[in-house]
Amino acid sequence: MKRVLLSITGTVLGVVALLSFKSHGPTVGTLGVLPPANVPTSSSSTTPRPGDSGTAAPPRPGSRSPATTSSTANGSATSKIAGDAVETPYGVVQVQITVSGKKIRNVSLLQLTAFDGRSQEINSQAAPILVQETLAAQSANIDTVSGASYTTAGYIQSLQSALNKAGI
Amino acid sequence: MTTAIRQRRVVECMGTVFSFDVRSPQKYESVLDDAVRWLDWVDTTFSTYRSTSDIRRLAAGEVTLEDCAPEVGEILRTCELLSAKTAGYFSAYAGGALDPSGLVKGWAIERASDLLVAAGSTYHCVNGGGDVQCVGDPQAGQVWRVGIAHPLHLGKLASVVVGSRLAVATSGTAERGGHVLDPHTGKPAHGLASVTVAGTCLGRTDAFATAACAMGSQARDWLEELPGHYGFGIDNDGTTWATSGWGLP
Amino acid sequence: MTTTATRGPVPLRTPVSLGPRISPNAALAVIGLGAIMVIGLWWKDTFVVTGLGAWLTNAGRITGLLGGYAVVVLLALMARVPALERGVGTDRLARWHAMGGRYTISLVVAHTLLIIWGYAVTAHTGVVHETSTLLTGYPDVLMATVATGLLVAVGVVSARAARRRVRYETWHFVHLYTYLAIALAFSHQFATGADFISNRPARLFWAAMYTAVGATLLWFRVVTPIIDFARHDLRVASVQRESAEVISIYISGRNLDVLRAEPGQFFRWRFLTRQLWWAANPYSLSAPPAANLLRITVKIAGEHSAALLALRPGTRVLAEGPSGAFTAALRRRRKVLLLAGGVGITPIRTLFETLPGAPGDIVLLYRTARPEDAVLRHELDRIAAQRGAAVHYLVGPPRRGATDHLSASRLQRLIPDISERDVFLCGPEAMMTAAERSLRQTGVPGRHIHHESFAF
Repeated sequence: MKRVLLSITGTVLGVVALLSFKSHGPTVGTLGVLPPANVPTSSSSTTPRPGDSGTAAPPRPGSRSPATTSSTANGSATSKIAGDAVETPYGVVQVQITVSGKKIRNVSLLQLTAFDGRSQEINSQAAPILVQETLAAQSANIDTVSGASYTTAGYIQSLQSALNKAGI
Repeated sequence: MTTAIRQRRVVECMGTVFSFDVRSPQKYESVLDDAVRWLDWVDTTFSTYRSTSDIRRLAAGEVTLEDCAPEVGEILRTCELLSAKTAGYFSAYAGGALDPSGLVKGWAIERASDLLVAAGSTYHCVNGGGDVQCVGDPQAGQVWRVGIAHPLHLGKLASVVVGSRLAVATSGTAERGGHVLDPHTGKPAHGLASVTVAGTCLGRTDAFATAACAMGSQARDWLEELPGHYGFGIDNDGTTWATSGWGLP
Repeated sequence: MTTTATRGPVPLRTPVSLGPRISPNAALAVIGLGAIMVIGLWWKDTFVVTGLGAWLTNAGRITGLLGGYAVVVLLALMARVPALERGVGTDRLARWHAMGGRYTISLVVAHTLLIIWGYAVTAHTGVVHETSTLLTGYPDVLMATVATGLLVAVGVVSARAARRRVRYETWHFVHLYTYLAIALAFSHQFATGADFISNRPARLFWAAMYTAVGATLLWFRVVTPIIDFARHDLRVASVQRESAEVISIYISGRNLDVLRAEPGQFFRWRFLTRQLWWAANPYSLSAPPAANLLRITVKIAGEHSAALLALRPGTRVLAEGPSGAFTAALRRRRKVLLLAGGVGITPIRTLFETLPGAPGDIVLLYRTARPEDAVLRHELDRIAAQRGAAVHYLVGPPRRGATDHLSASRLQRLIPDISERDVFLCGPEAMMTAAERSLRQTGVPGRHIHHESFAF
């Protein structure tokens, strides 16, 4: 009996110790220098402060969900739908969607592991090269063109259409 | 060794024009057909211009998330994630109503490119309305040269981006005026004439470009800190800037 | 015929190592190291754990990983690896397996509950709803749940209280379902385990670990006995009565030295007759193995052993082994006391004949309830005379207190230098417990008392 108690206590203590070591994430310097801003509802409009330099402290999970001031004044039942825990390149995320009646009221993150070096992993390729000059399209020998989104009508006048025509 | 042939396809979809450019000895006609079908499906499901699309019906409350295609949930989740990563400057609710278009186009192109990769292509480029996903093997010298349209001088290029596995997305006020909204104010952003973000996966890159455009003058600092992505911007007065880390030509 | 007695110290020959041995401490160290590596896998994959849901889920992951690892360890312990059988000892392996089995089932149950609870908290749903989501949303989880149920059932049947009421055969049969449970639960580890989903090296290593242990099990428990069967052609040579209740079975074979059986070891014997083929019972060798003959001595105590009486010469025998650490390798001192009770004389008798020692170094005490129970007497007397070793027959029912044959005072009187001896102990459970207590009282340190005990 003593052995049983010992092994149970030992296991529980061990697991608790392991978990408490992981309660504090690594400092994240990669998030971007702007402090998190509230996504306003129709009633409020906040402007974010100008970006501070320096690294922001890692956000605690849960603190990032947009402020919801929407009320359920219409009395319809509010239900919460949880998505699956999704492994994303940024970590594991589970999203909760609050539905009131049939309208989506809120989408929030429930679980967010801190950013790690994985996003670096994704770009382990060599950095792209930027050729910084104003160029005439014909002499630049390009394959394709990136630009602000155009409509079909806009396409016709775009460089891309010229390229496509030339290629065909 | 058979020489690579160049297979092109140009289709109209989602209110814009998509260009495929596949360079391979094999024939990819049927795969390109599949890719076009994919784009059509995305259009049907996500278009905010069609009242019958899943997105519109979801926003109107006519259906629940469970009734929609699983990709809708995936897009919403990713939007939320990207919103967090861009401090709210990218949002699926920028104008108040649900509109994930800032992610959908780039994501759809990326998936179309994945279709081609799955079929065996290692050297191709997909351009959808100015957002580009390129795939190439640097070892084999398969590079893509992506020109960046100058927002203020029609017909000219502002710069060229060169890479093998490359996603390039540009967001700006050039053609359609102020269509990029700042989610914090709900009003059009106007700090930059255009900003280009280069990365490896177009879905994300597209969203980051949209966010950077919404950020205006603060975009440069934010892009500098964003790992794995590179920024090139043009202010309203024509001044250009670029983040560090671009490889040397 | 007596051997000339040579006085003076006899160099304690290091036991002839007939095969590699893994010591208990080495085995435990390897097991511990593996557990640390498994926890390291979780450590490497986890970045931040905040909030009740994450704490519960991660506790569930840790217990799941350890459970999956513990299963492999348990199988390895029972794989009849000769180095473990010789080094750790069959009885200790069985005890470790039993204790470890209880711990593993607890880990698995804890894992299940923690994951359900953790997911439920994270998703802000009730535990019941989350359970049905897990069961219906993930097919592999349903299989894993069935597996958990099987393991719990095995645990319940194996519980000590139940063991007494359940026949050995029934228990053994139910126990085999653990293989099914392991097979059912395996796939969910990869399909839903956060540490395996996107970690190919981890998956490869885990699969390799399971495969290696499975192959080892197959090799030593199935393939090796079949090979030995073909190679050695073991057959019953004759059955001799030693007393009213005890028989000796002589088993002939070829090239038996290849088996490397050491005095004190046992085999699991499967006599291939219609009645007996399905049971593999352990019996110690009661004589040092010869190149073509083995002997076991068995007490008739149940329907299985009764059937042995009727064994006909020529009956083929499948022997699994040799097993057991109760050998000369345990000896640490020059002087030895062999203490046997009842039919426990069987391995003791072989040690009595083969343990190196000068006259006076080896003493045998044979404790039985009645005089007719002391079997193999003539052999023991012969060996005693040949070696100049003493043998004492302690006959009579057990008595309370100092008057019992195995009381500390009696032992001290009988063998004045008892505290300087290594003691080898073999007999019924109760007798061994009593003897060990007395021995310690006479001053024999615990580490010099060696016994093989199959109670678990």
